[in-house]
Amino acid sequence: MIELLDRRADEAAGAASPPKIDVRGLEFFYGKSQALKSVHLAVPANAVTAIIGPSGCGKSTLLRTINRIYELYPDQRAAGEIVIDGRNILDPRYPLSTLRRCVGMVFQKPTPFATSIRKNVAFALSYYERLPKAELSDRTEDALRQAALWDEVKDKLDASALSLSGGQQQRLCIARTLAVRPEIILLDEPTSALDPISTAKIEELIHELRQRFTIVIVTHNMQQAARVSQRTAFFHLGELIEVGDTSQIFTNPHVQRTQDYITGRYG
Amino acid sequence: MRLRRQLTDIAASLFALAATVFGLTWLVWILWTTVVEGAAAISPALFTEMTPPPGSSGGLLNAFYGSAVMVLLALAIGTPLGIAAGTYLAEHGRHSRLAATVSFLNDILLSAPSIVIGLFVYELVVRPAGHFSGFAGALALAMILLPIVVRTTDEALRLVPNQMREAAFALGMPAWRVTSRIIYKSALSGIVTGVLLGLARIAGETAPLLFTALNNQFWSASMAQPLANVPVVIFQYAMSPYDEWHALAWAGALVLTIFVLGLNLMVRFFARKGSK
Repeated sequence: MIELLDRRADEAAGAASPPKIDVRGLEFFYGKSQALKSVHLAVPANAVTAIIGPSGCGKSTLLRTINRIYELYPDQRAAGEIVIDGRNILDPRYPLSTLRRCVGMVFQKPTPFATSIRKNVAFALSYYERLPKAELSDRTEDALRQAALWDEVKDKLDASALSLSGGQQQRLCIARTLAVRPEIILLDEPTSALDPISTAKIEELIHELRQRFTIVIVTHNMQQAARVSQRTAFFHLGELIEVGDTSQIFTNPHVQRTQDYITGRYG
Repeated sequence: MRLRRQLTDIAASLFALAATVFGLTWLVWILWTTVVEGAAAISPALFTEMTPPPGSSGGLLNAFYGSAVMVLLALAIGTPLGIAAGTYLAEHGRHSRLAATVSFLNDILLSAPSIVIGLFVYELVVRPAGHFSGFAGALALAMILLPIVVRTTDEALRLVPNQMREAAFALGMPAWRVTSRIIYKSALSGIVTGVLLGLARIAGETAPLLFTALNNQFWSASMAQPLANVPVVIFQYAMSPYDEWHALAWAGALVLTIFVLGLNLMVRFFARKGSK
């Protein structure tokens, strides 16, 4: 009951304040094939926005434009605007390291670096901030606590990150992202490679993190979208079909195609 | 019908087995001869005395020393250059034409006969200087090592999954930091394997040294002078009519074989460590 009220309050807040991320007329191309068509989407601050849709609908592509990670591949191109805090981050003059510090990303497969747990977390942090050793260690602990991993790893911080289980590795990746204090966190199917218990832990974590961060999660799992998000956007064939409060999308979608997808008629 | 299939199966297995035995026979024979002949000639003097004049006894100290310093200098030149070039090919130039060209040229260098490299260094260094030298030898060995390190570094880096790069770049790190701190760590065992394989290869090279370091019958620690080395000493002593020299050649061959074998064991160790 309290959670429900909580959610209502969030939804009201989400609608009123200006969006944290404002996607305006976004087009995306892999070589010649177009993956996103004229997408307009406002992502509210301090809430979880879920992106759902069948495979190949462009949901991951959207996520990959928000931190411009697609630029690693020369044949991929985005047009349009993504405005974060009043600035268009797709502008080539917008510095990448500023953007990626503000917008963290966690991927489908856990990607721990082949080094110690401690260094995984401190890696980016020590690049952005020149911290004395004690403080660096505090910030590392802080990030691991936020990612609900501290209790499991506090006695083996110098062990290899590869020795952790898949679920722990994924939380380590979240800790690594949190360590540099981003404002936005992009989650690209973060639990699709994990078992149900690890998945539950990550979902719980998302629930806690949303109070301080703006979270965008891509997921194949509609129950997950319903569980963790306040807003849901449904994509199909590169187009945004419908976006609304999660409760509305799942109980009373306005568009037939959304209805068909969430009732499992295709996907 | 079933019988025929079974017979074919047995025949194919037997043929494969016979081929393996045929191949291994020569290897075992070579190793066995080297061990028997070499072990008889190994003594403490081998590592403490200089190469002797015909008819008297001695060791190979100057040759071991010369080989060691030339190989080490070749490593010092070839490894950083090779790793840097391999990194360019795999990380920075992935989609560029230049990288494709460099990669192709590297393959040519990789298969170039080592005597050609020896002649090249002879023209480049030995002739202008007017004499053979250890530096020229090391340079020739470095040129043989270089393409091996380039290729193995390139391949080891390409084996690092792209997700790893994306994860590191997604943290906002610049390319040099992603490569030096993340990608190298993941590819380390592959790169070390390449360097060790290259080392094993140049340790036994004779042809490029004939035209560059040549040989030196006496103790000389100077890299600017002709330098004794194990492969050329083996070559010359094995061709000689003297029994003492034959024995030393066998002993040198055995030591060299054990060294290369040891390197290969290390390679296996690193490769296994990397696959874990």
